Amino acid sequence: MVDLHPALFIKMSNMKFSFRKRGNDMKRWLFYVLLIPLPLYAADSADKIEYSGYVKTETWIKNYNDQEHLSLSSWKNTVDVALQYTMSDKWTFFFHPRYFYDAAYSLRTDYNSYYDKNQESMGNTQRTEWLRDCYFDYTSPQLDLRLGKQQVVWGMADGIPLLDRVMPFDLSYYWLPDFADIRIPLWMMKMEYSPKVDSTLQLLVIPDFEASRSAPPHAPFAFKSFNDFDSFRNFNAAIGGTTDLRLYQPAKQFKNSRVGVRWRSMVGNLEYTFNWLYGYSTNAYTYTDSFFPTPNPFDPPFIGDYQFSRRHKLMQMMGFSFNRSFVERGPLEGLTIRGEFAYLKDEPTYYGTEGSRQSTEPSDKYAYVLGFDKNFFTNWLFSVQFAQFIHEDADRPGNLQILNAYTYGTMEKIENTLTLKIATDFLHERLQPEVLVIYGDDNDGRISFKTKYELRDNLWLTLGYHHFWGSVWGSNGQFRNNDQIVFEAKYTY
Amino acid sequence: MKWGTLIVVFILCIFAVEALPLEYHRLYVPASGMSAGEIMEIAYHNKYSLFAKDFQQEGNVFYVDPSGFTRKRIWERLRIVEGDKGDISYKDLIAITYPTEVKGLAVLTWTYKDYQKDQEVWLWIPSLKKARKISASEDDDAFMGSDLTVEEVSTRRFEDETYELKGEDAFKGYTLEETGEMKAQGAPCFIIECRPKKSHWYYDKRVVWVDKSHGGIIFEEYYDKTGRKFKTVSREWDLIDVNGQRYPTQISLECKDLRTNHRTTILMSNTRYDQGIDEQNFTVKALMRSRW
Repeated sequence: MVDLHPALFIKMSNMKFSFRKRGNDMKRWLFYVLLIPLPLYAADSADKIEYSGYVKTETWIKNYNDQEHLSLSSWKNTVDVALQYTMSDKWTFFFHPRYFYDAAYSLRTDYNSYYDKNQESMGNTQRTEWLRDCYFDYTSPQLDLRLGKQQVVWGMADGIPLLDRVMPFDLSYYWLPDFADIRIPLWMMKMEYSPKVDSTLQLLVIPDFEASRSAPPHAPFAFKSFNDFDSFRNFNAAIGGTTDLRLYQPAKQFKNSRVGVRWRSMVGNLEYTFNWLYGYSTNAYTYTDSFFPTPNPFDPPFIGDYQFSRRHKLMQMMGFSFNRSFVERGPLEGLTIRGEFAYLKDEPTYYGTEGSRQSTEPSDKYAYVLGFDKNFFTNWLFSVQFAQFIHEDADRPGNLQILNAYTYGTMEKIENTLTLKIATDFLHERLQPEVLVIYGDDNDGRISFKTKYELRDNLWLTLGYHHFWGSVWGSNGQFRNNDQIVFEAKYTY
Repeated sequence: MKWGTLIVVFILCIFAVEALPLEYHRLYVPASGMSAGEIMEIAYHNKYSLFAKDFQQEGNVFYVDPSGFTRKRIWERLRIVEGDKGDISYKDLIAITYPTEVKGLAVLTWTYKDYQKDQEVWLWIPSLKKARKISASEDDDAFMGSDLTVEEVSTRRFEDETYELKGEDAFKGYTLEETGEMKAQGAPCFIIECRPKKSHWYYDKRVVWVDKSHGGIIFEEYYDKTGRKFKTVSREWDLIDVNGQRYPTQISLECKDLRTNHRTTILMSNTRYDQGIDEQNFTVKALMRSRW
């Protein structure tokens, strides 16, 4: 399993704020420069302005599948607006803010609830994520330029981000929301140059930096490793130890920009890309900087003064992807094959024993995914993917095992994942059910049902159910007592 | 002598169905004396606007159930006709602009000249912010939830059916239910019966009325194996002046499912031809320009 572990949500006492302030000033000025002329744009010509948006309420209810009662996990209310201003044939400005408030974090009052603690980090929009898009677009036949805050997506796999690692991720709700909502947008420059039709060289320069993030300890989708760390910290403190965690992020200087290049082209009807990404990882990795044991009456050897750090490391990713549809008559007609391969150089990896991280070392990883899509029975789409994650653990310390970053459970050198998605529609596409099954090694997996219904052009309802199973040390199994029913109502304008 | 006769008959049969390909970027009008195949080849030429170099249009789509409840979609469509330069006949880009929930959804299709090849299809999926190659839809699947099938809108080719000229007559007219207007009354037409070459297909035959004045199909009736009529498709055409030529252009389309009484109406507007649209607009890169 590729480690996609976001920053811990623990208040840091020693965060280095100096670079953050400079970065924020830069972004604030850029933001004003983009937005102040808006009224002028509006006065110019209304027909050059296009807008749309939605208000949405979604309710997540944890199902009664453990010892605890049915409970409200989330009542998230979202306002979204997107505005486009066409400045000329070639220049367009796009602005897209979004804000949410999760009322569950002020409604829940049950004893021992962590909801109050999580209000700050789960109850409303975090950091700069309220601004989903804010960019200028320049388009011409050969050269496209997009300058500003945006998302860039790589890869051809669905829901398995091997090459799709340009953007940081918000895993507050694990991998369950739409990917466009999971990715955290960044300020960047994206240039696409086409020397010929159907061939494009993409260049990314990303001076902005945001760390991937996930749910705080004891939130509905908090990772087991985070919950365990929080419990350990409390235990350590109760016996007299201290646990200090420092977060080191790369300074927001141009020299620290991440850089990406992608070449996309076609040979016949085989479409392929070559990808390269270099820079600081958006994931933070935990290191133990120092430990001084403290004598204590219970005498466990692990009580003491800890100095941990979370660091973003320089690393690079290389890979390729491809797809091909079989359009010729024959048994394969209508089949689409997709694939991608990623090589991650020097990605920090956790080593230890089950539940205990003892070392963090850089290692190389390979991962690939193959996908097969075909429609059957007129309008039933079947999409199957097989993925394999291979750890090149030449520097493995001692006899320690590779750990799952979400749970600190032990992993094999090679991990496999199989996904199956089936989707169809009824009532003239008014009713759109789908089911997604993700199955990993050691019987770890989840199944997600989703049905979307169009009540009116501008009113859509969604009903979903997420069921998890597997060992508590597995990526999905850690949520085995956390099945969720999701209801969503969305009004668009 | 017997073998010679058979060969001649065989060759005649081929030409009766497989008419010679028409030239791209050239306008054709059917005439009395033409075979059913020749007339239908012109009808396909017009349906996919192969007479033009490029094409742009806006469509308002209405899905209306028997109670009158209506859902609406608006799309923008771009097409470039490649001509003789490669193995692609034309490229299409359709982007949904309404309602907001599906706004930004865009489909890029490349249609090969070789009728035995499926289309290449890419989709821009707003919820993933991703351009994705997808398998071509099954031909008998509903086109974007409408009463029309994928085949009826975009994949049916001249070579997929056999044709028989049933006669020539003035068309009785049809009522466009969306507006209540009577259309095409008295239009001189060729009446052609078309049968699919596929066995066990969703229709057994269709009867089409081809307008003699421009070669566009103005009315179709679909019949199942029992001989029951189960669907009608009506198309309204306008002739648009482009550089001294009069391009036949669909401006409305209405499809009624007689089994469910559900109908789909598409009203087209803002049609433009031969603007010099660059081929780069029909690439995956162009799909990824989507902002919604």
